[in-house]
Amino acid sequence: MSVWGAAVGGLVGTFVLTTILRAASELRLTRIDLPFLLGTAVTADRGRAKAIGYLLHFVAGLLFAMAYAMGFAVLDRSGWLLGVAFGLIHGLFAGSALVNILLPIVHPRMGTPSSSFASSALLEPPGFMMLNYGRSTPMVSLAAHLVYGAIVGAFAAAAA
Amino acid sequence: MTESDTRLDGAERDRPPSRVGGFAPIRDYAAIGDGRTVALVARDGSIDWLTSPAVDSPTLFGAMLDADRCGSFELAPEGDFLVRRRYVPGTGVLETTFHVEGGAVRVTDAMTVPAGGLPPSRELVRKVEGLGGTVPIRWAVRPRFDYGSARTRVERRGDVPIARSRADALAVRCFDAGEPDVSPGTISGRFQVRDGETALLALPMAHQEPLVFSTRAEIEDRLSATIEAWRSWSAGRSTTGPWAQAVERSAITLKLLISATSGALVAAPTTSLPEVIGGERNWDYRYCWIRDSAFTLDALLQLGCAQEADAFFWWLMQASQRTHPRLQVLYGIDGGAEARERELELAGYRDSRPVRVGNGAVDQLQLDIYGDVLETAWEYVREGRPIDAEVGKRLAGAADHVARIWRQPDAGIWEVRSEPRHHTHSKMMCWVALDRAIRLAEAGAIRGRTVSEWRRERSAVEDFVLTECWSEAKGALVRSPGSEDLDAALLLGAHFGFDPDGDRLSRTVDAIRRELGHGPYVFRYSGEDGLEGQEGAFVACSFWLVEALARRGLVEEAAELMDELVGLSNDVGLYAEEIDPGTGEFLGNFPQGLSHLALIGAAFAFEEEKR
Repeated sequence: MSVWGAAVGGLVGTFVLTTILRAASELRLTRIDLPFLLGTAVTADRGRAKAIGYLLHFVAGLLFAMAYAMGFAVLDRSGWLLGVAFGLIHGLFAGSALVNILLPIVHPRMGTPSSSFASSALLEPPGFMMLNYGRSTPMVSLAAHLVYGAIVGAFAAAAA
Repeated sequence: MTESDTRLDGAERDRPPSRVGGFAPIRDYAAIGDGRTVALVARDGSIDWLTSPAVDSPTLFGAMLDADRCGSFELAPEGDFLVRRRYVPGTGVLETTFHVEGGAVRVTDAMTVPAGGLPPSRELVRKVEGLGGTVPIRWAVRPRFDYGSARTRVERRGDVPIARSRADALAVRCFDAGEPDVSPGTISGRFQVRDGETALLALPMAHQEPLVFSTRAEIEDRLSATIEAWRSWSAGRSTTGPWAQAVERSAITLKLLISATSGALVAAPTTSLPEVIGGERNWDYRYCWIRDSAFTLDALLQLGCAQEADAFFWWLMQASQRTHPRLQVLYGIDGGAEARERELELAGYRDSRPVRVGNGAVDQLQLDIYGDVLETAWEYVREGRPIDAEVGKRLAGAADHVARIWRQPDAGIWEVRSEPRHHTHSKMMCWVALDRAIRLAEAGAIRGRTVSEWRRERSAVEDFVLTECWSEAKGALVRSPGSEDLDAALLLGAHFGFDPDGDRLSRTVDAIRRELGHGPYVFRYSGEDGLEGQEGAFVACSFWLVEALARRGLVEEAAELMDELVGLSNDVGLYAEEIDPGTGEFLGNFPQGLSHLALIGAAFAFEEEKR
C-alpha cells in the first residue's frame, strides 16, 4: 500500500467521479452539481463558484483518499475490491450525512428546516441521499463513489 | 372595420380578453425574455409559453400547443375585467393593467437578469400592484415539463412549493400573494390587493442544479436591475425618424430573440403556431436561419448594436464552418447542424396538427442562402471590421461552390415542400453571392484566385434571370422559368442591388403589388407549394414592398404604406409571421424576427434614400 498511490488515485478517482456525475446530469438523471454546491459556499458569483467548487472538490477527493490510505494501512491490505467497499461506505456517508446534514449547516446559502428567508439567498437543500435533486441521484452518486473507491484502491495497491 | 383599424382605438386597448377552445388569439400575446429564453404572456394574464433553460429547450408552459396537456401560469383578477397593456418604455418588461369594477391592479412581468447575490439560473417574476379599490386575484402555476410528456412532481421543500421532473425544477416564491395551495400538478393561491399594496410571485428555475430560493428584496432588486439594464441598452440604439417607436420595439424584440450565450438570432421563440388555423403548416422556428443573416447584420449595424453584430457574425462563421463549403438552411442556436424533425402527440394550437419540433428544412438545398452569407460578410467588411485569413478562405470557398452549383434546382427561400425547381429569387441571390465575393476580393478581404470565374458566372446568372425568368405576358420576373407565378421575394432585388437593366425590377415590383397585394398585405407567392391550405399574408413582404418603393423614389407612397403597416402590429407593437387579411388574425410563430427585421430595414431605407 502506498500513500502516494492513494493520493494519485484520489485525484484520478475524483476526476472520474465528477465526470460520471456530469454525464448523469447531461442524461437528465439528476440535478446534482457538487462543484456548484461547494463553490457557492464561498461565493455568490456563479462562474467563480463553479471554478472554486471544482478545486474544492478535488481537495476533498484528495482528503478522502488519505482517509482510504489510513484504512488500507490499518487493514494492511489494499486493492480495487477493498476500495469499492470503502467507496460504498463513502457514498452512503456522503448522501446520508455529509451533503444532507453537514453541508447545509456550514453552507451560508443553503436552507435547513430551521432557516428563514429573511436575509440571504437560499440554495435548495439536497435532502436524504440527495433525493431532492432527482430520484436517480442516490444510484448515480453511489455508483460514482464505488468507481472512485475502486480507482483509489487500485492505485494504492499498484504503488505498493 | 378591420381589427387593424380598431387597434389604436382606446376601447380596443381596454377590451376584455377572449379565448376560443382555451386558446387566446396569437395577437393577444406579448413576449418577455432574458436573452436565454422567452415567455409569452396573454392579455388575460396567463403565461402560456415558456421553455427552459434555453429558447430551444422543451416547454415548461406550453398551453399554446395543448391547453390541457401542457402547462401555464395564470394570474388575473377574479370575475370580469378589462385589460390595457404596454411595455415599460425602452424595455422588454411587460405591464398589464387589469380594470375591474371599483378597482385596478398592475402586473409587471419580467424574466430577470442576474444582479447581486446568488441569482437563480432562470427567473420569471410577476409583481402585482394595487392601483385602486380592493381587487381579488387568483393565480395558478401548472408546470408540465418536456412538452407535457414528463411526469411532474409537485411538493414542498420546507415552506416552498416546488415542481420537478428529472433534471429540471422550479419553485414558487410568493410574498403577500396568499397561502400557496399544493395539489397534484398545480400550485395555486388567492389574495386581495388594495390600493398601494404590492404582492410578488417569482418562479426560480433550475436545470441540472439545485434550486435557488431568493428573498423578496433580492427578487425586487433583480426586477429593478432588469428594467435598468433594458433601458441602458435601448438608450444606446439609433432609432430616429417617424417610426422611431416601432423601430425601437422591433430592436428590443430582436434583442429578446438573440441568444446571449452564442449571438445567434432565432427566427421566433415558438414552434408550430399555425400559418393556417387547423392546418398542417406548423413549423419549429427556434433555429437561426441563414436566410435572415444579411437582414440581421444590417439591422444590428444600423441600430448601433456593434457588440451584437460582432457576436452574430462570428457565430455565423463558426456555425457554417461545420458544413463548409456547403451551407445549411438553418443551424441551432449553439451552432449545431442537427435539426431532426419529429412530431409531438399534442392537440396543437386550435387543432392545428402536427406539432413539430426540429425542422426538416435543414436538409433542403436553398441556393439563396449563399447570397445572404456573402452579403453579410460584405456588410461586415464594409463597416471596417476585419475578417481573418481562415474565414476569408472559407468565404472564397463558398463563392467557388456557388459558381459550381447555381444551375441546380432548389427549394427556394420559402422552403416549399414540392419538387425542387429553378427559383428566380435563388438565382438572383447567387448573383448577389458572386457579386459580393468579387467586391470582397477587390477589397482584399478574401483571396481572389478564382475571381475571373466568379465574374463569368455572375454574368451567366444575370443572363439566365433576364432571359429565362422574364415573362412578357406578366411583364415581370416570375417565380420560376416557364411559370406565370409571382414571388414577393423578388422585391428584395432593390435591397440587394440586383437591377441589371433598371426597368424589369420596377415592373416586377408593380406586378407583385398588383397580383400578390391585398391592401397593405402581400402574399408570398402564387402557385402551389406542396402543402394543403391557403396561408395568410406575409408581414415581411409588406415591409419589403415599402423598401422597394422607397428605393425607387416613391417615398410618399412608401411612407403611407409604412404608416398602415405600423398600425397592424398588436397592442404592444409585435408582429407574427403572417396576418389573415380578412380578419387581421395573426398567424404563424410569434413574435417573428423576420417581420421585425423587415420593419427596421424599411425604416432605414427611407433614411438611406434621403442621403
